[in-house]
Amino acid sequence: MSIELPAKSKMRIFVVFLLFISAICGSTNVDTISGEVKIKNVDRIIDCSSQLVKTTSKITLENTGKAPLKNFLLAVESSVKDNLSFLGVKDSNNKDLRLSETVVKGYGDVRFYRVDLKDPLNVGSTAVVVAEAVLTKALQPYPTAITQQEDQLVKFIGNLYFFSPYHVTSQKTNVILNTKTIESFTKVKPFSQLDGTLVYGAYANIGPFTEKELSVHFKNNSPFLTVSRIERLIEVSHWGNIAIEEKIEIEHTGAKLKGPFSRYDYQQDHHSGPASVRSYKTFLPASAADVYYRDTNGNISTSNMKVKKDSVELDLRPRYPLFGGWKTHYTLGYNVPSYEYLYHSGNEYLLKMRVIDHVVDDMQVDELVTKVILPEGAHSIKANFPYPLTRLPDTLHYTYLDTQGRPVITFTKRNVVENHIQDFQLRYTFPTIFMLREPLLVVASLYTLFLCVIIYVRLDFSIHKEAHVKAN
Amino acid sequence: MSLEIESMVRHVSPINPAVFPHLTLLLLSIGIFFTAWFFVYEVTSTKSSRDLFKELLLSLVASLFSGFGILFLLLWVGIYV
Repeated sequence: MSIELPAKSKMRIFVVFLLFISAICGSTNVDTISGEVKIKNVDRIIDCSSQLVKTTSKITLENTGKAPLKNFLLAVESSVKDNLSFLGVKDSNNKDLRLSETVVKGYGDVRFYRVDLKDPLNVGSTAVVVAEAVLTKALQPYPTAITQQEDQLVKFIGNLYFFSPYHVTSQKTNVILNTKTIESFTKVKPFSQLDGTLVYGAYANIGPFTEKELSVHFKNNSPFLTVSRIERLIEVSHWGNIAIEEKIEIEHTGAKLKGPFSRYDYQQDHHSGPASVRSYKTFLPASAADVYYRDTNGNISTSNMKVKKDSVELDLRPRYPLFGGWKTHYTLGYNVPSYEYLYHSGNEYLLKMRVIDHVVDDMQVDELVTKVILPEGAHSIKANFPYPLTRLPDTLHYTYLDTQGRPVITFTKRNVVENHIQDFQLRYTFPTIFMLREPLLVVASLYTLFLCVIIYVRLDFSIHKEAHVKAN
Repeated sequence: MSLEIESMVRHVSPINPAVFPHLTLLLLSIGIFFTAWFFVYEVTSTKSSRDLFKELLLSLVASLFSGFGILFLLLWVGIYV
């Protein structure tokens, strides 16, 4: 059905539509910095003991305005915004607060996040929130190349003050290094050095958007393992199994190995190659079974599996130790029973699984691709992600006993860390009767074979006619 | 319509995976028995003694049992179709 409209009114509808669209876009993305918010105190812990930089900031907010406060802003410096992998905010009850990216006019190079408080903050009162940020590739190996025997030194450059759009009355920063070998560090009084921790502060009355370089140069021999690409394949079968296969490319992104590699020294002295990675642990779900660990050559036999109470622990040892700049790739697969992750009500199904699972402790993943293969005939697929992911076009996958192909849902994300191990939900409709299609396909093909035999015995291929036909 | 996860039940296989081996052996042995019967019948019967209905029935029973047997064999060995 179509209604003919005069050209003028069509134009007007279009303009109204455009205004509507721009109003939607504008209202959700632009914020202003409220002068009525003050930060009374910030306790910041910067954990540099692994390859990641994990910042936990305990922020005491104060509402000095005249109206209850519903939300506040968090700011990220332009120098680290490309390294920021995860940002999460929790309130004092350890509940996650809603976070959305936003823009403030006049601060184009700063990234802002608006945090919505659960309960509005009353005038004059304070609230404590905990912001957790994980930065990847923020520790730069310095020197960039070391020999086999040398320790790895890294440099962290950050902000001495808590970067905030608000005035901060008092703040303290702990930098956890887990080593006593510190080559150099920024010295701004008051500061102290305790074992493997640097304590800065308390600093009083720091204005908004203050940046001062905090530089620490220290020893860090923790595994610098970057998963440059992981392809996670989840194959759902309604016959009671979910098969998971991960194709992993992993690289040591610490200081590069300079000079020769002596396998003799490496085997003789266990302290040789302190910055190298001999083996690492991967944790799988507790119900994981039929685990395999292989690469293009076949099974990698230097691996161990321990079944624990709440997980399956894999001790993976690559074919060669990983030094800086060295990489390896392998395939890791296992099965889990469907009742752990698949729910249904009639023909409606719900798959609830992890977007990514544990690969190494304190992992950093450059590129994650997760593919979910649903049974043939599944339709009306709806995906629900715990954080923004890019969904790629759906494809089809052909395997045993498939005719029209199984729907494949693919999604991807860059710069992923452990905090992204969260569940996604996938809803789809699958008529249970479709499960009979696979056995019936086998039955039909066998029956066709038998029919061919029935026809064949009725054909006469003899060259000459039978000399005598028995009379009935 | 979107159902909440609380109102849904966990999905288990319509057939307990623990009985896949038994089902495979049972169904495949019956299937092979009827297949054998069918072929023996085909080669021993003559043009005159052949009964099309019996042939169709034998092959249908044989393919049904073998078909499901093969399916459970696939599931047993880990090819989750």
